[in-house]
Amino acid sequence: MNTRRLYLAAAGGLGAGVVFWLALAAIALVDTPARAGSTGILDAAILSTTDGRQIFEQICQGCHMPNGQGAVGAGHFPALANNRTLASRQHVAVTILMGRRNMPAFGAKHAIGFGAPPTTLTEDQIAAVINYVRTNFGNRYADSITAAEVAALDQSLH
Amino acid sequence: MSRRQLLTMVGLSAGSTAMYQAMHSLGFAAETNFTRPIQLSTAPKGASVLVLGAGIAGLVAAYELRNAGYRVQVLEYNGRAGGRNWTLRGGDRYTELGGDSQECRFDPGHYINPGPWRLPYHHRGMLSYCKRLGVALEPFVQINHNAYLHSRKAFGGKPQRLRTVKADYHGHVAELLAKATRSDSLDADVTAEERAKLLDSLRFWGALDRNFRYVKGETSNGRRGYERDPGGGLSARPQLSEPVGLSDLLNSGLWAALPFGEMYDFQTTMFQPVGGMGRVGQAFASELAPLIRYNAKVVHIHQDEQGVHATYEDTVGGAGRQTVQADWCVCTIPLSILGQIPMNVGGPMAAAIAAVPYSTGVKVGLQFKRRFWEEDEQIYGGVTYTDLPIGQISYPSSGFFSDGKGVLLGAYIWDMLNSMEFTSMTAAERVAKAVEYGSNIHPQYREEFDNGIAVAWHRAPFAMGCFGLWTEATRAQHYDNLCGFDGRIVLAGEHASYLPAWQEGAVTSALDAIDRLHRRALAAGPVA
Repeated sequence: MNTRRLYLAAAGGLGAGVVFWLALAAIALVDTPARAGSTGILDAAILSTTDGRQIFEQICQGCHMPNGQGAVGAGHFPALANNRTLASRQHVAVTILMGRRNMPAFGAKHAIGFGAPPTTLTEDQIAAVINYVRTNFGNRYADSITAAEVAALDQSLH
Repeated sequence: MSRRQLLTMVGLSAGSTAMYQAMHSLGFAAETNFTRPIQLSTAPKGASVLVLGAGIAGLVAAYELRNAGYRVQVLEYNGRAGGRNWTLRGGDRYTELGGDSQECRFDPGHYINPGPWRLPYHHRGMLSYCKRLGVALEPFVQINHNAYLHSRKAFGGKPQRLRTVKADYHGHVAELLAKATRSDSLDADVTAEERAKLLDSLRFWGALDRNFRYVKGETSNGRRGYERDPGGGLSARPQLSEPVGLSDLLNSGLWAALPFGEMYDFQTTMFQPVGGMGRVGQAFASELAPLIRYNAKVVHIHQDEQGVHATYEDTVGGAGRQTVQADWCVCTIPLSILGQIPMNVGGPMAAAIAAVPYSTGVKVGLQFKRRFWEEDEQIYGGVTYTDLPIGQISYPSSGFFSDGKGVLLGAYIWDMLNSMEFTSMTAAERVAKAVEYGSNIHPQYREEFDNGIAVAWHRAPFAMGCFGLWTEATRAQHYDNLCGFDGRIVLAGEHASYLPAWQEGAVTSALDAIDRLHRRALAAGPVA
């Protein structure tokens, strides 16, 4: 089963929108500014913000919850508040780039699309959200990460 | 060489497995391998099985193993059976991860299925269990020529009826191809005799006129519909509608949604259980009632030479931790959760469990004061596709023409970015956004909206994701290791299938797993 076929099969389980989305995206291409009145990045085909807080609140908090509190059900989503693994900015960057277990990858090399193109974050966006998370929710790490460092880490990953 | 010749050659030289794989890569093989109910012989005396998870895979496994004479215990996290097979009705309360709690306020008889909602005619396993369990089925309307295709960037944002886009697309393509055929451009591909047949077929298929043109007229209107429909008496005369030009049509992008109804998974006839998809889980549950322990959160799984032990927490009764034991274990816990539960399996299975991220998915059900889509727009079931973040609007496939309120699926979002953003909102925000976006297609939304409920699958405490996301590479490296036995443990679920997100994947993976389990148990003999 090739990847394209897989997309179609996967999309099939839930709904058909694959080709539709791709065609519309191809036609619209870069002409996808956020809608007037939108609270932020919602409604953009690609994520255009480089604001760390905005990226967290519209992507990450779906699982990690507002203020990085995490959640517990049959399993758990790790809290980002008081999480000692955040001490390593590189660890956080690699997790975002490659994904970890059920957490999807956001690096372009590793992200998996589902019919539509995968949701990916640029080095700038990854650096911004890491720096936001490591200086909020009670986290007070003095060091920060740059886009160049994220890019170098990405280079080293296979 | 034709594809048939190629397949025959592969079959002769490499055996049926290779042929099957080749057929798969060419897109030929059946999508389900279910042909008839499984017939397990009698279980070895005293043999027992622990089933973890009472979703479709776990329920199928428990049902068949019990019927064969195994002593079966099922542990389920939720207070109900079914897992993602689930229906929300008026009075139901749903609390998602993070604590956001919603009460469904739909009128009696109305519902949404937050998870799976339709059954293809070729998902014979699911259909077979519905029949055996007495779950009544009715048609699910997938294709509706009077529903809309909508893009903000096409036709000034005005929704177009599927029938006009389809008729015009086919018409223009047929006209172009007829032109090429008549100008001898295709002489290398068709004989003179075939040429005449091709032209005949293009004229009929594309609704072309006698000169092979797709134009405003009775013929094209017989496909795309009229400006004013024909009637009787003095007002009988139809008013013809004008086809959309080829250029406008191509640039609209709306043609991209046309093949959906042609896809194997969405072809007519599709079915749905009367009263909601959750009827399937409920029917299994009444059949297996004494075997299922609800509100049991599995926290530890351990196997040794004697058997498998699962430790669980009683999440409501305060009975603390308990351990149950059996000879074998069919584990159907989603990988999103299983990956966090300590379990002593070997490296290959552990790596497979860790290799599969989960897709996002969001659905929003909206109740309106009346069925305006039927009353005002003559839309009876089916799906409107849009490039708005809501993705789709689906109209109910039952209760046509009824008075009173109506519930439709106001958003079905699996596009990753939109889905993640909707997941990040509160439930109330998701409902409000679905109403806001949907009103671009149905302005009646603003007046008629009554209430709504939203489910984001990553926030579902029992699933923590929508379904397993495989790639060609992860399948090659991990799929067999995920599905193969590790000691006394075997996994099942949609994640252990080539039918991601479909319940049929859960059914067929469970049947495949218990067939292998049964052989092992028979080989091991009676249990003292």
